[in-house]
Amino acid sequence: MPAAVASQWRDRQRRVFQSVFQTDVAQPTPQSTPTSSGLGQQSQEHPFLRRTAPEPPHQTTAQPLFPSLAPPPADHQATYDRAWNLVTAHIALPSSATADDSFGTLAAESHHHYHQSSSSGGRDVGSGDFYDAFALLANAGSLLPRATRTDDILAWHVRQVRAHFSQHVIPLLAGCVDDHHHRAVEDDESESDHDEEQGHARWRVGRKKGNYYERHMVIVMSSIRTLEAALRLYFYGLNQLLSGFARLADVSPEAAKDAELLNARFRRDLHALVSNSTSEGLVRSVKAVLVRLAGTILGIPSPEEPGVGRGQTRPAPPGPDDLQVQAARERLVELVQQLHNVGLAGERFQVLFAEVMDAMMSAFVTGAYAGVWSPPDTRSFSATIDTISRGASLSVASPCIMSLNDWVENHFARLSFEVLACISTNPQGPLPVSLADLKTYQSLALGRLAALRTRELFDIVLAWPASRPALDDLRATITTAARRKQLTDSFSRALQTRLLHPGCSTLEILQTYISIIRTLHALDPSKVLLSHVEPGLQLYLCQREDSVRVVVTGLLASPEEMRAARKVKEVWKRQKEKKPRQDEASRSSKRRTRGDLGPFTTPTTTTTIPGPSIRTPRTRAARRRDSTPEEEEEEADQQTPDHTTTTNLVELALLLNDPSQQARHRTADDAADLLDWDDMSWLPDPIDAGANYKRPRSEDVIGTLISALGSGDVFIKEFAAVVAGRLLLASSSSSGESAGGRFEQELRVLDLLKRRFGEAALQDCDVMIRDVQDSRRVDAAIRRGKGAGNKRPRAVVVVPETPGPSVGEGEGGEMEYRAKILSRLFWPGLEREHFLLPEAVVEQQRRYEEGYERLKAHRKLTWLNQLGQARVELELSDRTVTVDCSTAEATVVYAFQRGDGDDDDDDNAPPVQKSADELYELLQMDEDLIAAALQFWVGKGVLRRVAGGTNSYVVAETLNDETTAAAAAAAAAAAADTASAAVDQPMEEEEEPEPASGANAGLSAKERERRDMYWRYIQGMLTNARASMPLAQMAMMMKMLIADGFPWSNEELQDFLGEKVGEGEMEVVGGKYKLVKK
Amino acid sequence: MSFAQDSQNSALGSVQANKLGGARKVVEPGQNAAKRLQTELMQLMTSPAPGVSAFPSADGNLLSWRATIEGPDDTPYSGLTFKLSFEFPANYPYAPPTVLFQTPIYHPNVDFSGRICLDILKDKWTPAYNIQTVLLSLQSLLGEPNNASPLNGEAAELWDKDPTLFKTKVMDRHKDVEDE
Repeated sequence: MPAAVASQWRDRQRRVFQSVFQTDVAQPTPQSTPTSSGLGQQSQEHPFLRRTAPEPPHQTTAQPLFPSLAPPPADHQATYDRAWNLVTAHIALPSSATADDSFGTLAAESHHHYHQSSSSGGRDVGSGDFYDAFALLANAGSLLPRATRTDDILAWHVRQVRAHFSQHVIPLLAGCVDDHHHRAVEDDESESDHDEEQGHARWRVGRKKGNYYERHMVIVMSSIRTLEAALRLYFYGLNQLLSGFARLADVSPEAAKDAELLNARFRRDLHALVSNSTSEGLVRSVKAVLVRLAGTILGIPSPEEPGVGRGQTRPAPPGPDDLQVQAARERLVELVQQLHNVGLAGERFQVLFAEVMDAMMSAFVTGAYAGVWSPPDTRSFSATIDTISRGASLSVASPCIMSLNDWVENHFARLSFEVLACISTNPQGPLPVSLADLKTYQSLALGRLAALRTRELFDIVLAWPASRPALDDLRATITTAARRKQLTDSFSRALQTRLLHPGCSTLEILQTYISIIRTLHALDPSKVLLSHVEPGLQLYLCQREDSVRVVVTGLLASPEEMRAARKVKEVWKRQKEKKPRQDEASRSSKRRTRGDLGPFTTPTTTTTIPGPSIRTPRTRAARRRDSTPEEEEEEADQQTPDHTTTTNLVELALLLNDPSQQARHRTADDAADLLDWDDMSWLPDPIDAGANYKRPRSEDVIGTLISALGSGDVFIKEFAAVVAGRLLLASSSSSGESAGGRFEQELRVLDLLKRRFGEAALQDCDVMIRDVQDSRRVDAAIRRGKGAGNKRPRAVVVVPETPGPSVGEGEGGEMEYRAKILSRLFWPGLEREHFLLPEAVVEQQRRYEEGYERLKAHRKLTWLNQLGQARVELELSDRTVTVDCSTAEATVVYAFQRGDGDDDDDDNAPPVQKSADELYELLQMDEDLIAAALQFWVGKGVLRRVAGGTNSYVVAETLNDETTAAAAAAAAAAAADTASAAVDQPMEEEEEPEPASGANAGLSAKERERRDMYWRYIQGMLTNARASMPLAQMAMMMKMLIADGFPWSNEELQDFLGEKVGEGEMEVVGGKYKLVKK
Repeated sequence: MSFAQDSQNSALGSVQANKLGGARKVVEPGQNAAKRLQTELMQLMTSPAPGVSAFPSADGNLLSWRATIEGPDDTPYSGLTFKLSFEFPANYPYAPPTVLFQTPIYHPNVDFSGRICLDILKDKWTPAYNIQTVLLSLQSLLGEPNNASPLNGEAAELWDKDPTLFKTKVMDRHKDVEDE
């Protein structure tokens, strides 16, 4: 019993103190305290206390120290003193600080004491004596005029009460708090453990939790009981005095005082005393009890009792006839009443209560609505959503808001009302909770909700469109400019930490961006919010080199991909319906499926969804072969829908084909909306709109996205490049059928872009499409050897095209050969890559050229060998491989063909083996290309790298036994060139022989061209701007003047200029470069 | 479409035009010119015309260029090179550049301070012209002066009357200018 020890210790301290300082020496009064013996019997061990207690300390010092100073009025004074002693003895408080925690005892003892004192023997003071003495004291001025040292008996009582309170009651209170507090504190600690390491400590907590609230309740109740007893005691004395006054009122009205007033003042003082001396421990306990009771009443499961059932941990407004709630309500009201009675319901309690209620509101809002976006009646609600989303937004509250308002009104405000009514000091005053207060509560709650939704906005975006109702919450709550600012700020922060980091692929970012556009547009049709969020995102996207490409390919997604994506969406929806999000865990796993956007998680994380799984390696494979959409598409067909969505921004294509979007585009285009006087849903521009704000009409995802990616030029350029690639590849499969369909998609996108950027900007693309269409005709014409077809105004480039594995037209077993004729100026990225084509193909080219020149005089064909496609059929000893590949790859594998000189029948000849260097000499092909092609064929299992460190490759004639060389396939391959139709190995290549220039051999054609262009810039600069310039200035000019940017560092430029100096083109004079005059 | 007849349509049309402009991002006039000049520079560099070249001046101001013309063969200017300066207005290409010969030249249509009398640099200018076409026109002007409206009357007379003297005067007058 630590408490008992403690208070005994305190007692002993007190005793020691008093024995040293002799306070009882001041016990001067002629008569010793009459009750001393009686009291002594009860508490023997406190003699000093007993004697001092009845005498106010002030009195003891004032009176006895100078007894001789007032000899004449001695009798008056003596009478007064005697009366004083009588009265004080009568109302003296017991000193029953017996330190054990029997709270009842104090009251009981005191009763007992009074009972005893009033009825015990002759020495006791009868009530008559008391009143006489009291009358003397009260009228001392008139009755005992010569008693100079008089005092106010009321004040004495107050002092006595104070002393008693601090000496006895406070230790007792501390005792009862202490007693239980240790355990309570333990619980507190284990609770915080519980917070930190959830689940780990749960069993322990669970065991103790049941007691947690009870313990605090015991503390509170015992404190209350102690206080009640003490107060009873104090008021007993007061009542005695008051009744004395009351009697006096008849005799001398002027001496009588207003009992009511005195009582109230006394009570006030006492309450102040009590509330000021409340210990921290008690406050904590009161708080714990309040939290628990209020939580129950408000329907918020308290964290202290996790055992109550995980299933309904979400706060929900309790039903009207919940017995538990009613019990808690009664209990709380009763408790508050008691607290109020003992003076614990002061300001401090009110602050405490406010804190608790505040926490309750937060807990309810977060608990009940976090992550809950769809109301139970989703169906009917979403049906009306479109009408809601514009104009009428403010008047229609979302389900969350309605339920929250309801909760505030019927539970929160009610509880506040009840509690405040209990502690209200003035029952006749205004209601403690007025209607205005209710409105304030509601707006507070909405503010919390707004803050919650604001924090959740990023998740809301990710979950779009399932999260639509959450937006209605936001729309209704985000009403002030400050909140809008807060919203955009917090969202931007979330973007930075969760989306815009290297762990997210551009595709994911763009997908999220689309969601952002749609979400924020739904939230704020004026798009102002969007415009506040966008800059950071756009800035980041501009840093991503592939973002434009992703958008463009997304726009051009094929119908198959769209179908697949739609399928995925359905799967999604079904899954979502199946298991509504319950806890954080399942939520995060879902989020992950959508393309994991958590910070720094790799996007390849696989999904937990039971559906089709993502096959990461294939994803990568498909990405690597970006250049061959043909193949990718095939793959996409076999692949799971998930896969498709992760490789392409199909959403854009879906949007593009979405009739509703189209319709909206149209209205947006014709909109003369500012002049639309009949628009009943017109709203003024938002307050935070910028100066040049122009109200947009539709969400226009595509438009926003395109404009986000910087200037239209960049976009158009990328679009042209992508379309070029697609056109070149597309028609290769077009031995008829699908090409038309694909062009439709491209034309549709083209139309869209034309509307946005104007016809002129997209002229190139028009020409490209026409080129491809025309080439088909020209091709046919040339084949037929007839002159026909239309005029082509420019220099022309021809791209070889894949033949089917045909045995065919005209030339017997020869390969089929097609070409695409491109207008050089309009096609981006047409660099020539030099390499030597197989003989047979060169022959075909020559013939084709002749045909073309017959068709169109004065035009020259330039062959772009590397752009073509070939279908290669390889006959190996144990299998036949048919592969669609690029011309370069075909050329390389052709080099492994057994030469014509070999004996075709010699099955025992070793398989052909060639090193990369040999190939380089043979084909004059770029080494990188050779390496890539070799790798390609190794991947197909056609070639094998020869062991032993040499960079040589050999034909893998058989799959199983790699060491056995089978010559048959090589022989068969050789046969391809001959006219025999049995083994047909058509290969198409084009090339224009062009000697590889020694120094630059390692550079790609593109790089060479770039260097040439820079050289022309430098020439132009030094010819015109200034004859000689230092390096730094040249670099600066180049950076400034070249529209696409000048990526070289000063050092690179210096190297380049050094080369030119070496070639004699330039010279350095005085640190400045100048051209050598010729 | 007749705008006058159908005011509804015309309103619509102008709105569309506005939108178009809005979508293209309205840029400062000067920026527009700079952009155009950058493009022109790129064209000049990728497909240069023989005998003429041009480049922005070394001070980094895109609106101020220097150009070089080589005197065409079969003219009195054969073998000579002439420097010119181009100053572009902020609303280029909707207004012509101011072109001056920096190199002193004796020519019927060029005065002694280098000013040129050429219609396409004055009232016949259209935005379809560009630096290269201007330079090519000037180059051909060297071989075929417009003697009907001379700035240098003496040269106009001599052109027909005394080609030898003309040639002498050309050579006298010509002096390579080194830039600053």
